Amino acid sequence: MSMPFYVSPEQLIKDRAEFAQKGIARGRSLVATIYDKGVLLVAENPSASLNKISEIYDRIAFAGVGKYNEFDRLREAGIRWADSTGYTYSRDDVDARALANYFGQYLGATFTEGSKPLEIEILVAQLGSRMRPTKLYHLAYEGTITDEERFAVLGGDAETIKQRFAATETTEENLTAALHHAVSALSGPERSIGAKDLEVAILEDQGARRTFTRLSDDTVAEILS
Amino acid sequence: MGLPLFSVGDDPGPSFQKFLEATGRQLVVSHSEGMSAHATTVVALRCAEGVVLVGDRQATSSYIASRDVRKVEAADRFTAVAISGSAAMGMDFIRMIQLSFEHYEKMTDAVLSLEGKANYLSPLIQRNNLTTPFMVLPLLAGFDVSHQRGRVFEYDAAGGCYERNDFTCIGSGTPFAESTLRLGFRDDMTLNDAIDLAALAVYEAGDNDPSTGGPDFVRNIYPMIVTVTARGFVELPVEQTEAIFRAINDRRAASGGRAGGELR
Repeated sequence: MSMPFYVSPEQLIKDRAEFAQKGIARGRSLVATIYDKGVLLVAENPSASLNKISEIYDRIAFAGVGKYNEFDRLREAGIRWADSTGYTYSRDDVDARALANYFGQYLGATFTEGSKPLEIEILVAQLGSRMRPTKLYHLAYEGTITDEERFAVLGGDAETIKQRFAATETTEENLTAALHHAVSALSGPERSIGAKDLEVAILEDQGARRTFTRLSDDTVAEILS
Repeated sequence: MGLPLFSVGDDPGPSFQKFLEATGRQLVVSHSEGMSAHATTVVALRCAEGVVLVGDRQATSSYIASRDVRKVEAADRFTAVAISGSAAMGMDFIRMIQLSFEHYEKMTDAVLSLEGKANYLSPLIQRNNLTTPFMVLPLLAGFDVSHQRGRVFEYDAAGGCYERNDFTCIGSGTPFAESTLRLGFRDDMTLNDAIDLAALAVYEAGDNDPSTGGPDFVRNIYPMIVTVTARGFVELPVEQTEAIFRAINDRRAASGGRAGGELR
């Protein structure tokens, strides 16, 4: 009879964390930042149809990096949760914090109990209203939630990009400045990323109930030019 | 409710209705005394630019329960839905339809086709009408963006969905409204001609059907007029609906209450 090896909990967590980090590091990164009128989400994404950023609810957006199938499942669950909460109670009762907590619980449970941790990082962004503040909730692969102050960076190269972004960050930027800023932080000094390889969306009040808007390649190119 | 996650085989996909079924929830029947069955008139007709809908505003039980009910709503930017029948079910129906179309759009990042939207309603009507005493009969009309034309869909009580090339009516005022439309409808009417005819049809229904509210000049409440064209769903402002119904009313008053042998 074979004896299972003893693995200490410390070692187990460390191995799982390494595994998840490696998986996430393989993908491209994403920057989210609060600008004067809303929230800007910018991802490096060569695919025009497999989105990393999407709409969850009237004032809530979702972004994920890492394994597409893993974060897309959470995106779908998020939309279902938001739509049924708003249907049961009121549209005003759909809160990004509650959703971020559910995501956190799921990621945490999968990290410790699942057969493998999820190789993803996600972001739940909320555009503020009279009832709620503008928020960026950053969720790590093991379920840790960080309530990011002004901007968030997700993905393998996050630390470097974060430093680059923080170095040039100013408060109350407009959309044009924020997009320039986010793209230069994503690309770094050595290379440049074209509009075709960017996925950009915003949460901004434009007089309608829904605030999520995707910016087309043309619009992005125009702003960046 | 926790995070609604499904295994690959049980996933309900982008349909909000299927999702509710998968989580054991469905429309809840609430016992309220709303409109009696069909006490309404809503007409929808096609014209060159798209579709026009006009709907009365009265909710009737054994008395006039409300004078400013909205029976026509935007299901999304290019689609209008209207309801007749039980008020409680009808309001919930509109909410469910609006949510379902938006849900599909967010889940798949694609907008449902107008025909897809029309077909989505069929099982909802069927289940509601066959399992509850609160009958609902909607109609759906909109601008088909992929075919660049207005389209009108009507339903029967069992959920059958039929596309109409000209016009359709729902509610108790149908005989009067439909007669008016049959006499006045022409192919490829302009938007303004279609608005005038549709308004006249609801005026006729309000004049003859006790459960349909005509223009209320005392309270300044008029039947809703909606157009759905390439520019999307537009509800005419009250000043405009007032002018349209005042014109009809003045003509009718001048001829002593008779239509006078032509569409006036």
